[in-house]
Amino acid sequence: MIDPLFLEGIIKVLFVFVLISAGLIISTRNLSSVLTTYTIQSFLLSAVSFLLYMIDGKGQLLLLAGLTLASKVILIPYFISRIEEKIKIGRDLHFAYLEPTPSLLLSIGLILLSYTFLSRVFEGLPLSRLFFFGAVIGLSLTLMGMLVMFSRKKVITKALGYLSMENGVLMFGLFVTELPFIIEVLIIIDLIILVMLTTILAVGMDSSIEEYRQKFRKLQIWTGVESL
Amino acid sequence: MLEALVYGAIAALISGTVLPLLYRSKNTRKTSFGLSLISSILLLGFAGAILYTGKEPVFPAIRYLPGLDFTLAADRLSAGFILLIAAVVPGVSIYSVEYVEHAKSESRKNLQTALTNLFILAMLMVVLAGNMVIFLIFWEIMSLSSLLLVLHDYSSEENKKAGFFYFVMTNISTAFLFVGFISLFKLTGSAEFGPLEYSASELALPFLSLFIGFGVKAGLVPFHKWLPYAHPAAPSSVSALMSGVMLKVAVYGFLRFLLSVFTPELWWGVLILTVGSLSALFGVIYALKENDIKRLLAYSSIENIGIIFTGIGLYVIFKVEGLESLALLSLAGACFHAFNHALFKSLLFLCAGSIVHATGTRNIEAFGGLVKTMPVTSALFMIGSVSIAALPPTNGFAGELLLYQAFFQSFAVTDPLLTVFLITALSSFALTGALAAALFVKLFGITCLAMPRSEKSRLAVEVQKPMLIGSAVPAALCILAGLFSKQLLSLAGWEIEFPDLLLLGLLLGLIYAALFLIIRSKETSPARISETWGCGSPTLAPYMEYSSAGFSEPLVMIFKNIYRTKIVHKAEYLDKQESLFKNGNVEIRLLRFFEEYLYIPPAQAIESFSKYVSSLQNGKLDSYVLYAFLAVIALIIATGGLV
Repeated sequence: MIDPLFLEGIIKVLFVFVLISAGLIISTRNLSSVLTTYTIQSFLLSAVSFLLYMIDGKGQLLLLAGLTLASKVILIPYFISRIEEKIKIGRDLHFAYLEPTPSLLLSIGLILLSYTFLSRVFEGLPLSRLFFFGAVIGLSLTLMGMLVMFSRKKVITKALGYLSMENGVLMFGLFVTELPFIIEVLIIIDLIILVMLTTILAVGMDSSIEEYRQKFRKLQIWTGVESL
Repeated sequence: MLEALVYGAIAALISGTVLPLLYRSKNTRKTSFGLSLISSILLLGFAGAILYTGKEPVFPAIRYLPGLDFTLAADRLSAGFILLIAAVVPGVSIYSVEYVEHAKSESRKNLQTALTNLFILAMLMVVLAGNMVIFLIFWEIMSLSSLLLVLHDYSSEENKKAGFFYFVMTNISTAFLFVGFISLFKLTGSAEFGPLEYSASELALPFLSLFIGFGVKAGLVPFHKWLPYAHPAAPSSVSALMSGVMLKVAVYGFLRFLLSVFTPELWWGVLILTVGSLSALFGVIYALKENDIKRLLAYSSIENIGIIFTGIGLYVIFKVEGLESLALLSLAGACFHAFNHALFKSLLFLCAGSIVHATGTRNIEAFGGLVKTMPVTSALFMIGSVSIAALPPTNGFAGELLLYQAFFQSFAVTDPLLTVFLITALSSFALTGALAAALFVKLFGITCLAMPRSEKSRLAVEVQKPMLIGSAVPAALCILAGLFSKQLLSLAGWEIEFPDLLLLGLLLGLIYAALFLIIRSKETSPARISETWGCGSPTLAPYMEYSSAGFSEPLVMIFKNIYRTKIVHKAEYLDKQESLFKNGNVEIRLLRFFEEYLYIPPAQAIESFSKYVSSLQNGKLDSYVLYAFLAVIALIIATGGLV
């Protein structure tokens, strides 16, 4: 049996990495790096969930860790990397409303805001420091994901922003509300559908149905047939 | 028994609305107007019975939503206004049978027929409404059906503008009514029109919002501007209904509220009286300047609504002062004038419709000499003019006499300041009466007398029989209501000290007959028919006649401070520095005071605000997510109590 305090220390270290990954998603221009960062972030979350299982011993947490690993670390990044290969756009250079540096400054502001907000909300509740921090990180991760959604131009980055937002929700759920397991599963199914839709839209948003088919065939997404 | 009459009338009006929508033929339209005629006869019996016996019918309540009943109610007040509807509708229906055939296409004819019936039905139901919710529902139906009627000739740009203006104003009216009724509901906890035993300060908000709401619809200054736009656009039969009945429905709504208040305050009465007097005065002053026959009549409606509200204001003042009999007299005056105005204004609008139809223009300056080409219409038009100018023994005289009586007896008021106020209002009221007489001398004289001023007027032919009979009905009622005014008022339960106009009319008739006979017998030589002396010019030409503008010029000079002129410059330049002049124009025109200072600034503010708001909706996903983001942040800050 490992000492829970040691585990908590590790979780705290992971929190820092989660925040760093969120910052990277906001500011990185290279699409494949953004995807890698997201994968790492999801992996960190999965690890946090596993460590919490080690502390608490709830089977649900273990399941959640496994599910996150399967969907968010393997399946979704695999889909997105395929899209990235096909559309041949390597970088997302343009930003709307906010450039990377102000975005990072704003996200510091968001973390502070979540901190003060949650410390007001949880005032007087019997919640350990660790869980409080988890909630703060979760909320700020959600807000930062939203920031990504409106400040980046490319649809794939937007989708990654949304995914990272959902990571924030998961984090918040892990530490504060204990969402029922079924809801977590549903959210993950939603995410997979979202990624599929994004694939479709990212490829064919600007074309008519006929052109769309052509494009699809050319890019060989899900068809498995070589292009003519 | 009584209830059956109302159900019959409603059924007739509903089938009159539905039939023309199903079958397109002239016979259907005839049937439909026949149905509205039948309904008005049924209503006449219903209202007359209530007014005479004082027995109120009982209607069942149908619950259609929890806490909300569909229920009708009729007391003496509503019966009075139902009587008004029943008096105006027959003439309009008979007139419309022929008039509606002049519409452009078969479908428009049917639509106009159906909407007219719907409009009448809605007005009837507003008056019959048993609670505020029903009232508002039918109020909206009334507004919308009249809007569609105003827009019947929707292809012209001017009519579209008129329709839009009317739409905006009528919605403002409804918005204020909502505020008023909701605040009443909050106070009483019920949607019924019950007695309101609350202090005046609690009722101030409902009073003000209902006064504005009904005032907009009734056309009180400064909310009157939709009338002069909507009436020229609407078909004349619809103008007759709108001016004759719909404005009175607004008066009814206001009275319904006011009469249920136990303790009004003095400032209510002073406010109503002031606004009423100003409406009357401004209405007639603007009418004098007007050359469009229907617009002129619209301004005259504003004047008459002003007179009605003057009576209502007097009622409140006398009631507060504890002078019950005077209060009753003023109220009777206001109601009777409302009834009379419905009659003669619908008559005038119907005649105006005939004249406009025969000549093809609304410009008074192009009329003239119609007494020869359209003798019957001219005679009916004269009856209307005499009535509205309040000459005895017509009903206009009887109605205004009641108000004058109330004013004259106001020495019973003890407060000196109030006395001075009442005397000022009386003088303004008297001035209004005199100006109205001048206005209708001008209107009738320029339109019907002398020589035709244009080819259109010279070639005009008398309109068809239904239109003549349709106008003759209100004309006959005008005279009858005048002659039997005392009897009518006492039948309606108002025993008021009031001269018997029947006697007066007989006396007047005898005097005229005697004068005629005396002159006839003293006549020395037979009548010599020759041309008027034209100062030496060989023939008299139409341009030598009094023109409409010339006739009103002296009055315009007197009131030149009210008709302010405005100099408008418009210039275009070839360059940006505005030094090379391209073209432009300068005009001196009447200042449209209310429009330019009261209506347009808020409209512009709303427009620029809506432009700003619609620029937020830019079709970019990024911006929408940004708004959501900002909303979330705001929510976090607000719920966390961080502000």
